Amino acid sequence: MTWQLLVNGAVSASMYVLTGVGFAAIYSALRFFHFAHAAVVMTGAYVAFALFQPLGFPIWAAVAGGIVVSACIGCGMELVVYRPLRSKGAPSLVLLLASLGMYVVLQNVISMVFGDDAKSIRITEVKEGLNLLGARITPIQIVSIATGTVALIGTGTLLRFTRQGKAMKAMASDCELSVASGIDTTRVALFAFAVGSALAGVSGILIGIDAAVTPMMGMNVLLMGVIAVIVGGVRSIIGIAAAAVVLGMAQQFGAWYMGPEWQEAAAFAVLLVFLLFFPRGFSRIKEGKATV
Amino acid sequence: MEYFLHILILVAIYVILATSLNLIAGYAGMLSIAHAALYGMGAYVAALMALKLHSPFLVNLLFAVLLTGGLGLLLGIPALRVRDDYFVVVTFGFQIIMFNVLNNWISFTGGPMGLAGVPQPSIFGWSISSRIDFLILGFCLGCLSIVICWRLGRSPFGRVLKALREDEVFAMAAGKNVAASKLVVFLTAASLAATAGVMYAYYVSFIDPTSFGFTESVLIISIVIVGGAGNLWGSVLGAVLLISLPELLRFVGLPGVFAANVRQILYGALLILFVMWRPQGLLGEYRFQKAEAKE
Repeated sequence: MTWQLLVNGAVSASMYVLTGVGFAAIYSALRFFHFAHAAVVMTGAYVAFALFQPLGFPIWAAVAGGIVVSACIGCGMELVVYRPLRSKGAPSLVLLLASLGMYVVLQNVISMVFGDDAKSIRITEVKEGLNLLGARITPIQIVSIATGTVALIGTGTLLRFTRQGKAMKAMASDCELSVASGIDTTRVALFAFAVGSALAGVSGILIGIDAAVTPMMGMNVLLMGVIAVIVGGVRSIIGIAAAAVVLGMAQQFGAWYMGPEWQEAAAFAVLLVFLLFFPRGFSRIKEGKATV
Repeated sequence: MEYFLHILILVAIYVILATSLNLIAGYAGMLSIAHAALYGMGAYVAALMALKLHSPFLVNLLFAVLLTGGLGLLLGIPALRVRDDYFVVVTFGFQIIMFNVLNNWISFTGGPMGLAGVPQPSIFGWSISSRIDFLILGFCLGCLSIVICWRLGRSPFGRVLKALREDEVFAMAAGKNVAASKLVVFLTAASLAATAGVMYAYYVSFIDPTSFGFTESVLIISIVIVGGAGNLWGSVLGAVLLISLPELLRFVGLPGVFAANVRQILYGALLILFVMWRPQGLLGEYRFQKAEAKE
């Protein structure tokens, strides 16, 4: 049983990591909570669903389409709402309010188009999973874990070795200084939205294939992703991954002992304890600008 | 006519919710997404007492106000430690936990099925049954809420709140008790939100968790922002506009199944448009911008 819980925990962890790392990319560049990220997760999943099932595209095209549309929606939010707001000097709370508004609008548009019932992207028929040390794991779950790992390594490489990635890191540590040293911060911000939103799309599609696509899925997974980011540290991809794994495992084991309906509340109770007692603690999310 | 009265009663409920949230968000500058949780707490306490203990309306109102006030204090404690965006995340967590408790504690709260059959209230022999009666009750509670918020806002205490929102360290340096002020404002706002919840529970006589979820919190925030943060009359105007505006959509022949979605889209869109083009709202003064960032 323990093995099974570990496997399930790893599957949820990979979804949280994908969402969390995307969220962190945007947060670290612009320092505000982009709650509409949840709507981006959901959009990716619904677009892939629509392309695959009703429209009959092959699965690779549906997945690619979902990821591209997610990235476009994220960039659209930045171009239409966030960038004009920032140029007016709006503080982070106002950006957060705008993101809440965008989340509500997109979520309701999707629920109008697709309905509130759970949809599922069925690639293969449901069958018993492979046996791995006594635990059952379906091929899709293996793909989820693998994708999560690959995306993590990919994003880490991107941040460390490419010019854009380095610019993102510079912006995260000191925005004014990066402007002064000639970094085009508006372009880097757009890049952060593109990468972050594409990752969100991937996680949405994986959830859709493994479990179900619902109008609430985005917020559920984003909240877990945000917890992983706050606990693990916004700057450190490895930290986010570790926190996501712990969170995924804790949820599975907690669900086994307490019942699955309390998963979410328990995760949030942990978050509140963290925010209250270790507001800077493990995360360093608050350290903000380097002090002069 | 009945329909018109129904809208007015809803407006009265949202006036209470918006003015009380305005105390927290507009005056004291602490944005909270947990207002629907407090509203729900009030509604559930009153409904549970009425259904299980058969206690009279005023007793239920009193207990709902006291218990929700306590919950408000609990929400205020994190505000002493975390600020701005992080406080928003804390209230978000609070909202989610509250919704989960209402939704999952089936043996006590009825879970997703909700609580049905809340009896009609009566106050000292005045049995409140028709819509007119409820409107009178709602009007009284709404006015009470406005008066309390207005008195608080105009008092020295209100000025401390505004000082807090502009520059907390400065307020502290001026010898103001920042922690106590924050707790008092949460206690007051939560108690007021509870009266709105009690009013709602008795009026519709059926409550379920979906009325007190995250989107409801966003609606209350939209009312405060559209009306104008930091201005009491703004919240009243915002409640009138945002509650009555979607009703106009009924008359343009919108299919009924989409009514709820379209209403929410309207609220979300108004929130975006206002923060983009008029962050101080219709009548407001505050733009969620700290004093030091204004130059």
